[in-house]
Amino acid sequence: MNRREAARYYLNARVLGPALLRGRRWAAEWEARTRRPWSSSHLAPPLGISPRMKELVARHWLEGRYANLNRKVAWVTSGAPVEFLKALDFYVLYPENHAAICGTARRAVELATFAEEAGYSRDICSYARTDLGTLLSGRSPVGRLPRPDLLLACTNICQTVLFWYQVLAQHFRVPLIVIDTPFIYGQEAPPHSLAYVRRQIEEAIAVAERVAGKGLSQARFQLVGNLSRQASFLWLEILERNRHEPAPISAFDEFIQMAPIVEMRGDAFTVDFYAAMLREVDQRIARGISAVYPERRRLMWDNLPVWYRLRYLAELLAERGVAIVASTYANAWGELAPLLDPDYPLESMARAYTYPILNRSTGQKLATMKRMIRDYHLDGVILHSDRSCKPYSIGQMDQRDQLIEQMKTPALLLDADHNDSRCFAEEQVSNRIAAFVEMLGV
Amino acid sequence: MARPPEIPRRSDVTRAHKAKGGRVAAVLPIHYPRALLRAFSFLPVEVWGPPGLDYAPGAAHLQPYVCSIVRNALSFLLSGGLDIADLIVVPHGCDSLQGLASVLMDFVQPRQPVVPIYIPRSHTAAGVAFLSEELRELAARLASCAGRPLDTRDLWEAIRREERAEGVLHRLHAERLSLSLSNLEHYRLVRSREYLPAEVFTTLGESALAAQTREPVGGTRFVLSGVLPEPMDLLSALDRMGVVVAGDDLIACGRRVYPPGDSDDPFERMAQGLLGAPPDSTRGSSIDARREHLVHLAQRVGAKGVVFCLVKFCEPELFPLPDLRQGLREAGIPSVVLEADLNDPLSLQAQTRLQALAEMIA
Repeated sequence: MNRREAARYYLNARVLGPALLRGRRWAAEWEARTRRPWSSSHLAPPLGISPRMKELVARHWLEGRYANLNRKVAWVTSGAPVEFLKALDFYVLYPENHAAICGTARRAVELATFAEEAGYSRDICSYARTDLGTLLSGRSPVGRLPRPDLLLACTNICQTVLFWYQVLAQHFRVPLIVIDTPFIYGQEAPPHSLAYVRRQIEEAIAVAERVAGKGLSQARFQLVGNLSRQASFLWLEILERNRHEPAPISAFDEFIQMAPIVEMRGDAFTVDFYAAMLREVDQRIARGISAVYPERRRLMWDNLPVWYRLRYLAELLAERGVAIVASTYANAWGELAPLLDPDYPLESMARAYTYPILNRSTGQKLATMKRMIRDYHLDGVILHSDRSCKPYSIGQMDQRDQLIEQMKTPALLLDADHNDSRCFAEEQVSNRIAAFVEMLGV
Repeated sequence: MARPPEIPRRSDVTRAHKAKGGRVAAVLPIHYPRALLRAFSFLPVEVWGPPGLDYAPGAAHLQPYVCSIVRNALSFLLSGGLDIADLIVVPHGCDSLQGLASVLMDFVQPRQPVVPIYIPRSHTAAGVAFLSEELRELAARLASCAGRPLDTRDLWEAIRREERAEGVLHRLHAERLSLSLSNLEHYRLVRSREYLPAEVFTTLGESALAAQTREPVGGTRFVLSGVLPEPMDLLSALDRMGVVVAGDDLIACGRRVYPPGDSDDPFERMAQGLLGAPPDSTRGSSIDARREHLVHLAQRVGAKGVVFCLVKFCEPELFPLPDLRQGLREAGIPSVVLEADLNDPLSLQAQTRLQALAEMIA
């Protein structure tokens, strides 16, 4: 990097941009304090921490915009072991998060169309189509994505990411690291699976060091691992506060606030952010503020959110006094926290990254749901049958049946897609939810 | 044309095997260790659907966006089609097969034990080491199902039989153009590997190879890629159009020709063989590797076109498709994509597209 590029990077990504974003955050906080009373008669006002989250996310993407001037860039899957990349000072970008931002901004279909016109089938994951559309069109709601120097795909969430990242590797002609995590059909991963994952992480570190042009500092690796663990524990604590009745936040709040735990794991400011969020959630409980008022029924959401209809679904349910207080998806980013041990980073990473809910059996997922129904005192479950996510969705039909039969818990299977609004039939969804809520006796 | 070899029927073969005291393992796609199953007297009989089935029973467990190979397999099981099987083996080939195995084990719980195998996507030594261990663990499960321990001599004998059959299968593909068989006859023979004991297949294959002609089979040469040659009417349609399938890059066929391993350890040798097959997305092969293989195959056999036979919702095949077609275009080889549900007959539209490609080339 020459001096001019360095100056440009620091000026834009570290000085002007952050100052501007901080100013925006202050303005948003000021507005929240002084604006007219919150308009919804059923939903609590947005969390006070929200402007800070928006600032964090915007800074992350702003830095990404200039990252190629100053840092090595890695594109990674959401469940990948990123700690060694962070410790090697990579700027880490999550294409899935970018796709979710496009979905929330209702830009996903526009972008996916570029991919479909290039020959990518509408039957492949809508996150992948959204991001491939961004690559092909150069369009993105976050401005510009930095070019990767390295790709890291971990199959602990699906096999789709393997095929998706192979397309990226073809497009960018950069090294692709695959960390292949054998699916756990039973209760526990066999030792040879964990040894296999550990060996791949060791090989991945060597590749990342070569791309970074420097060696991995064990002290820094442990520090990042520790920060990652702390943030995950705080996230888990926040989620568990929803055991309180009425619940202080909804799963829709969690979907919005989970961006840092996914894409900024291992950073100190992420720990600070979730510590502050936990304080605010506790204040809500102390003041008797509930996410939905009156809270008549408490439900769980299974599978990814429907990013382009978050507000619609939140209001549709809140109007009927239904609060979504737990979700298997948000829970997935916290439940592995106890497995991470910074003193044994490789061993614990191999284990933690083999055990996400999506890499475990349909029966284990049902067991998690049953546990959450008990812990969160839930009255029912909405299972989002997500056309774009087979590993999450296959098994839901039996899970629904067993929840109804064994737990006597009403459960609804709702057909949609996490990012492709063409698969969302609003009238049908509205009718099905209305009938379900009626069945819940609301 | 010489008379095609008489191929025993699947149901006759399985019944005969059972009558001799053997066991039957119903095996889902894609890659699995035949020799290990045979060492325990399990005859592997593959379940690729089957096509043209009422999939209503499976629809109670699987959403409509799950591929028809998986939905049909579950429907077939639930409607009693696999009653003859003593064991169900589900290799991990994709998210849908993973889900099927899990749903079977956790919810459907059929009478037969369900045994999954994870096929590694890593192409380094770590992958071979993992698969060797995975096969050892599978051997322990099979020993429990069979009620007897593994006899290493049986395993080595089975490995040698399978390697010989693979050699014959390799020749049937490589020497396709000198076999006086129609497309349909050729594929019936090649796909009989899905259920015939290796020694029976070897005999049949060798007899077909012995009847080779000196002159290559005439006709416009195509390569098939994609998942599997279904509906089989496709092959008859190609026969009628004067097209000969000269090369095969299908998951069910050409990508399952396993070279012999070279290890003295039987498990490592089986792992080497499984991971040494031609590039395949379901084993994590890169797009570059697949493209090079496909273009080279098409050029080697003098193919004028490539037909991608896809099954709807098959992500492993759909992701690399644009790059593969681009690679073929750059090599001057046109291609056509036929995407279907396994229960669909060969549509007139598909026939017209094939005809158009054949005529354009001619």
